Amino acid sequence: MSNGIVTIQDVEKEYSLGATVVKALRGVSLTVEKGEFISIAGPSGSGKTTLLNLIGCVDTATRGDVVVAGKNTAQLSERQLTDLRLNTIGFIFQSFNLVSVLSVYQNVEFPLLLQDKLSSGERKKRVESLLEQVGLNTHMKHRPNELSGGQRQRVAIARALVTDPLIVLADEPTANLDSQTGQAILDLMKSLNQQKGTTFIFSTHDHKVMRYANAVVRLADGKILGRESPELAVAHAVGMDAPAAPVQAAS
Amino acid sequence: MGIFDRMLWLIAARSLLQHRLRTSLLMAAIGGVTALLVMLTGAYVGIKTTLLVSATTLMSGHVNVAGFYKATASSSAPVVTNYKKVRALVEKEVPQVDYIVQRGRGWAKLVSESATQQAGLGGIDITHEPGFRKVVQVKEGSIDGLTQPNGILIFEAQAKRLSVKVGDTLTIVAPTFRGTNNTLDVTVVAIAADIGMLSSWNTFMNDQGLRQLYQLNDETTGALQIYLKDIEQVKLVQEQLRTVLAREGFGMLDPDPRPFFAKFDGVNRENWTGQRLDVTNWEDETNFVQWIVTALTVLATIVIFALVAIIAVGIMNVMWISIRERTREIGTLRAVGMQRGTVLSMFLAEGSLLGLIGTIVGGIGGVLGSIAVSKAGITLPPSWQFVFFSDHLVITPTLTWVGFSVGFITVAIAGISLIPSFLAARLKPITAMSHVG
Ligand SMILES: Nc1ncnc2c1ncn2[C@@H]1O[C@H](COP(=O)(O)OP(=O)(O)OP(=O)(O)O)[C@@H](O)[C@H]1O
Ligand SMILES: [Mg+2]
Repeated sequence: MSNGIVTIQDVEKEYSLGATVVKALRGVSLTVEKGEFISIAGPSGSGKTTLLNLIGCVDTATRGDVVVAGKNTAQLSERQLTDLRLNTIGFIFQSFNLVSVLSVYQNVEFPLLLQDKLSSGERKKRVESLLEQVGLNTHMKHRPNELSGGQRQRVAIARALVTDPLIVLADEPTANLDSQTGQAILDLMKSLNQQKGTTFIFSTHDHKVMRYANAVVRLADGKILGRESPELAVAHAVGMDAPAAPVQAAS
Repeated sequence: MGIFDRMLWLIAARSLLQHRLRTSLLMAAIGGVTALLVMLTGAYVGIKTTLLVSATTLMSGHVNVAGFYKATASSSAPVVTNYKKVRALVEKEVPQVDYIVQRGRGWAKLVSESATQQAGLGGIDITHEPGFRKVVQVKEGSIDGLTQPNGILIFEAQAKRLSVKVGDTLTIVAPTFRGTNNTLDVTVVAIAADIGMLSSWNTFMNDQGLRQLYQLNDETTGALQIYLKDIEQVKLVQEQLRTVLAREGFGMLDPDPRPFFAKFDGVNRENWTGQRLDVTNWEDETNFVQWIVTALTVLATIVIFALVAIIAVGIMNVMWISIRERTREIGTLRAVGMQRGTVLSMFLAEGSLLGLIGTIVGGIGGVLGSIAVSKAGITLPPSWQFVFFSDHLVITPTLTWVGFSVGFITVAIAGISLIPSFLAARLKPITAMSHVG
């Protein structure tokens, strides 16, 4: 097995819906090296969220191995998985998932409180600087339901980044943002990637977003079609709804 | 992050605030049960206290030195001969004593012009009875009439049954241990308010009159009723008295926790003659009514548990709804890295907060309600008076029971809220997060 920060080997994921079984992933293998800025592309229903959930340790594979930061997730206890989520992974969910009774500031501070590593002064500095970077320093006392969709997404991004995780997973991180804010967020992510070597794995439909990636993994119908350069992927994606052109097999 | 973390309590408090209507309904329910519990336990304490006060005035001291005199092996009289000597001894040897009264004991038939009734006769020296006037409320006539050698005090229900008024004459027909009947005419000098069950078979007459009826001398009485400064000392004083009296050469009966009138048969079967003394306490002498206290305890416990169970089911349901609504949030917190145990702590915090505020408000309400009920002096129907040992409802909330009510219900609520949160915390984060509803 490779020594990537994320290694996925022959992973299948099935959902049972009553009597029928939905195969969301059908034998996926993928290696992501530390420091990569990688995009997962594919049509709706192709399995992007499912794949990110497995890497993010919020769901378990039906078959196959998911190794995150050197740990085979199938062999970890619930407690260890939770620790891995807290300390190693930052997850930006497609539907934000903020805590409605907490303010913007408290939502972002929350993982730090769970970690219980920083002093309250350090926490404050960290949270405030991140909120400034996502442009929400003026909304720190707001509750999530007092924010627009884009603002909520930015809170979710700040929350995922606040612990300085090794791996950041982002499910359509810019879907609700105007292109200017989206670009600012991507610039922030990219600079973290370059300065700290944080690994980013994000799903997207957006070509402009794909261009930020150093590689694009194309998913269709629960299978990886290939791993390619952003330029090629964009070219493929343009014709995505048309019958797909033959693609090289995954590496 | 543990149960003491500020953030958990913040989430708990805000979640409660977010659903104001539901929270207030729950708190009202919790408060109501607490108030009820406070009042129930208060009524229980009130009844016990009333029983203690009336029993220890009417028929027993805190501790008694009584006994039997047997002229022959098979005939006994409930008397203490030479009581003045015993009394001097008690006064000298037992420093815990507040005061002592002597009471004659008898059992006889009261005959009026229209009816008869069996009743206990207490021979009382009203000039030396500090507690008696406080407990016995005279409705008609005067307690001081008991200074007349042939004066008798009866209770309202008895007066009605015998259809007599103050000033009327009753004839007492008393069987003696010689097998004959003595009779004495007495005058009703006072009619007192009933004191529940205890007054239904008790009457009080001048102690000299009672001696005359049974042809006893001045040195003889039925029992020395000893009142202590501290009622907690009863058992200790009892032991002390037994030792002292035995040491001074008095014949002693074996300890037997029953009222004196239940002991005749046993005593008559024993093969001794002369005087023997018996040291009893107020619980022994009233053990025939203690079953009421026991029954009330059982009843109150059942009612309390039923109430708590009903409210628990209701609260559990609301908690279920609340937690189902927040399953997504639980999923998110778990996904971000919150351990299962911490999720439980969070809901424990919420349950405790809900329970604590509800029960404290309810506790205060219960205390105020108890005071109001007692102040209102609600007259109980006769059958209830019988059980409550009082003609009106007395509710005495105590700190212990209020504390118990608040603590017990809070713990119950917090515990109940753990069940649904436990189930939610067990879900895979993604399952919880994608929960709808
Ligand atoms: N909880 C679930 N139960 C049953 N089927 C599911 C569940 N979650 C996903 N699926 C199915 O698995 C497949 C992949 O879904 P997934 O959410 O991973 O797609 P996606 O690529 O993220 O789509 P989108 O771009 O619309 O977010 C779909 O066919 C979907 O219907
Ligand atoms: Mg998706």
